Amino acid sequence: MKRAVALLGKELADLRLNPALFLPAALTGFVSILLPFFVAIVVPAFAGERLSDSSDFQIAVELYRVQPGLRDLSSEGAIQAWIFQQFLVLLILTPVAASMSVAAYSVIGEKQARTLEPLLATPLTTFELLAAKVAGALVPAVSLAVGCFVLYFAGVAAFAEPGVYQALLTPASLAIVFLLGPLAALVALQLAVCVSSRVNDVRSAQQIGALVVLPIAGLLVMQLTGSFLLTLPVIAALTVGLSIVNAALMMVGIALFDRESILTRWK
Amino acid sequence: MLTASHLSRRFGDRVAVDNLSFELAPGEIFALLGPNGAGKTTTLRMLAGLIAPSSGDIRIGGETLTRRNAPRLRQRIGLLTEAPGLWDRLSVRKNLEVYARFYDIERPERAVDEALDLFDIRNRAADPAAQLSKGLKQRVALARTLLHRPDAVLLDEPTSGLDPESARDVRELVLRLRGERRTVVLSTHNLDEVDRVADRVAVMRGRLVALDTPSALRARVFGARVRVVLATSEARFAATVNAAGFQDVRTTADGLSVGVDDPQSSAPEIVRRLVEAGAAIVSVTDEQPPLEDVYLRLLSEAQE
Repeated sequence: MKRAVALLGKELADLRLNPALFLPAALTGFVSILLPFFVAIVVPAFAGERLSDSSDFQIAVELYRVQPGLRDLSSEGAIQAWIFQQFLVLLILTPVAASMSVAAYSVIGEKQARTLEPLLATPLTTFELLAAKVAGALVPAVSLAVGCFVLYFAGVAAFAEPGVYQALLTPASLAIVFLLGPLAALVALQLAVCVSSRVNDVRSAQQIGALVVLPIAGLLVMQLTGSFLLTLPVIAALTVGLSIVNAALMMVGIALFDRESILTRWK
Repeated sequence: MLTASHLSRRFGDRVAVDNLSFELAPGEIFALLGPNGAGKTTTLRMLAGLIAPSSGDIRIGGETLTRRNAPRLRQRIGLLTEAPGLWDRLSVRKNLEVYARFYDIERPERAVDEALDLFDIRNRAADPAAQLSKGLKQRVALARTLLHRPDAVLLDEPTSGLDPESARDVRELVLRLRGERRTVVLSTHNLDEVDRVADRVAVMRGRLVALDTPSALRARVFGARVRVVLATSEARFAATVNAAGFQDVRTTADGLSVGVDDPQSSAPEIVRRLVEAGAAIVSVTDEQPPLEDVYLRLLSEAQE
């Protein structure tokens, strides 16, 4: 694995020198963080109305009131906690968006820059090459997601009603950000790397890898409509499912990575 | 050190390399010549274990190259690709360090320092590769190719697009590799370069057209000739040589060109006869037609 670590070091060094590559992902993360603050705090403040004045959110009040330890939350706080909880799913999008552009470029980029052939002429195995490419996209993506998570919770602690922060900081929230987020990102970027080693155009890889965004968006909608809630058992099941998908994708990636066709078919 | 046996490679219906065989010794410089699309790069890629032959096999240090052992055997090969292939944003040093780690070199920093000194690029070590001239990039790529001290070095058009000074540096390096008993396979269009450095030449056009030393190829195509430069060129001297049994004698502006079977044994006889006839001899040389003429003749014969 020493060789994979060496290539990972190169990938990260290259990214440090090209921070613009992460700008779209950072923007996605920033918007993901900002959106619930607008809904829960900024809009009501400008409108001069409290969320608890509306009967639409009574379900949130009842949901939080029945949970031990959260009964002391004000009605406004319970609704804010519910909103911030639902939008937490958006934080899964941050690593996906962040990893996509990097992963999509990983193999095609090397080919276009004519750096792939010398790389393939080294003792580096296909597994080492793909592992380094995947990790090279995942590490910065997860770092960005963690940064967003910290900002999100700092914002909640600073601007939301008292007790909302504690209501949000649950094992489920942590699992969404630190387990589901990276695993979903891993699926996306492995897909992108697989595609990156088969197509001749970075855009194709990005578009196919972006398909992973669709289930995440679906998850958010289902959360908001209350038809599907990310409880701990659901998160555990998703974690197992995504882990299996990731292992399978790595094997598929190795099988699909055809050095010969990459060298001879692409121009 | 490096053996190719009946090596063939097809891409669909197209035969890129057809039944190519050669055996290279340590310290030998072997040139692959041929027009574009003749299969030179494909041959180098097969030798480097990047693509598998459709048939035939490659042996590196006596071990047959397979898909399974290719990563290990690549440790013994250094491939300089046609483009330098440096990571533009990274510094020269970082480019070399990453490769040093790929090859599991024990003290990578030291190996990189040595390479920077050897190739006289230490003063540019901190510069991003993108800022280097083409010649310097090629020098860094060569340093990268040789970092792990490979037994066999495969060079794909190493002087293409370089200025004469840089090209000369590359040639000197190739000659130095011979001194270190490394086998060098050189793919090039530069016939002058081949003439200067190659021990043997393979002319390819998909299949092997000819394989021999440059002088043997010259002799094969044009026959061996001895060139005699005279202080005064007179027609009677041609007759003198002719009378000595040399049938193919041509008069040139400054002397004679004589077709011979073996220059080593014929030249003294020609000189003796000319001196006896009163000729003032300025010089006697083994006549070397340009390798380009040999190459073009071989290719046109192969096409017929």
